[in-house]
Amino acid sequence: MKITLTVNDQVYIRDAAPSKNLLHFLREDVGLTGTKEGCGAGECGACTVIMNGKSVNACLVLAPEADGAVIRTVEGEALNGELSPVQHKFMEHHAVQCGFCTPGMLMSIRDLLGRVPKPSVHQIKEAIEGNFCRCTGYQQIIEAVLDVTGQLTKDNKGELRHV
Amino acid sequence: MLCEFDYLAPRTMPELFDALAAGGPDARILAGGTDLLVNVRAGLVTPKCVIDIKKVSGLDGLSFDAKNGLAIGAAVTVNQLAEEPVVREKYGLLVACAESLASYQLRNRATVVGNIVNASPCADMAPALLCYDAQVVIASRQGSRTVPIREFFTGVKKTVLAQGEIVEKILVPLTHAGGSGAYEKLKRIKGHDLGIVGVALLKKDGLVRMAVSSAAPTPILVRDCKAGESADTLAQAALQAVKPIDDVRSSKEYREFMVQVYVKRLLERV
Repeated sequence: MKITLTVNDQVYIRDAAPSKNLLHFLREDVGLTGTKEGCGAGECGACTVIMNGKSVNACLVLAPEADGAVIRTVEGEALNGELSPVQHKFMEHHAVQCGFCTPGMLMSIRDLLGRVPKPSVHQIKEAIEGNFCRCTGYQQIIEAVLDVTGQLTKDNKGELRHV
Repeated sequence: MLCEFDYLAPRTMPELFDALAAGGPDARILAGGTDLLVNVRAGLVTPKCVIDIKKVSGLDGLSFDAKNGLAIGAAVTVNQLAEEPVVREKYGLLVACAESLASYQLRNRATVVGNIVNASPCADMAPALLCYDAQVVIASRQGSRTVPIREFFTGVKKTVLAQGEIVEKILVPLTHAGGSGAYEKLKRIKGHDLGIVGVALLKKDGLVRMAVSSAAPTPILVRDCKAGESADTLAQAALQAVKPIDDVRSSKEYREFMVQVYVKRLLERV
């Protein structure tokens, strides 16, 4: 069936089987492979994208359910070749190890910052509860979010501290 | 997906019932998809046709009125419920159970009604709905009927729903609204996980209502207790109501023990 999607401000019209999920549709039919498949069952969050303003597991959305939807994926983070502020802070804080969870993490964080401009550590943890990092680099991710929201400061030894 | 199926998105209730009748046992209702698509992927269900109810007019309604209380339509997501101001004000236990269900992005899709219809013993929305004496409105081509939620579940993943019937909405009366409630859920990890055992407790006007998940073939409501009864008596009441099993996540004894621990902890919290 014919599916029309707006992904990162660009319209795509593609034919797909109705039983195809949004994750595979994005990767195989739209050609955006930034969004990853981990578990395929809504547990790991690697496939998190933003659909009509809300974070969702793309593996648990059927492509026809997303017909007409507005989607944001990790490819929409950088603008004109320049990484987004959150991406910059991810690099600075070494919040990326193997990188497999990163696209989903970035989408969950984008969703969080849309709802809560200055999240607490607890709120950050809750927001990425559904995103597994199997390198277990959660602390660096939390620090990157604290930093991008102006909640980290340098102490007199030059170490970063939570404000 | 491992199996191929057709996708239908009816716009009205009559269209929905037509699709259900045409699809018969090979059709499956799709709301949030957070159970159905996982089961399809695992090969546990192989529908020939999936009927999306999210575009059916009227099913996305979440409304409150001072006489009848809350009405939760079949397409209302768990996050939609938990973020609604009137729900946060009057039905705190619903919010507590909602926020313990899976992860944030999953709750953006998972529906309250779907959680009930899936009828898992560990359904997180069930304990709150049991404590509030929710009513399940079931619709079919023949009309509609209302079933109290404590009679809705008939076994593990089994409900009173017959072929051709759907849950249209859940009504949550005002009887126990405004009470102080909380939910404790034992999990293997601190993050999102299925419950090993869950206890909800709601206290209002000298009455204590408790419901337990993952400790019987269905989520269960404990007998009504009085606020004056001792913590030990209340823990005993909960223990007598449950019938847990040994499984991969916990032993029967540990579940029985934790039900009592949680009743006592919750009594201190509410």
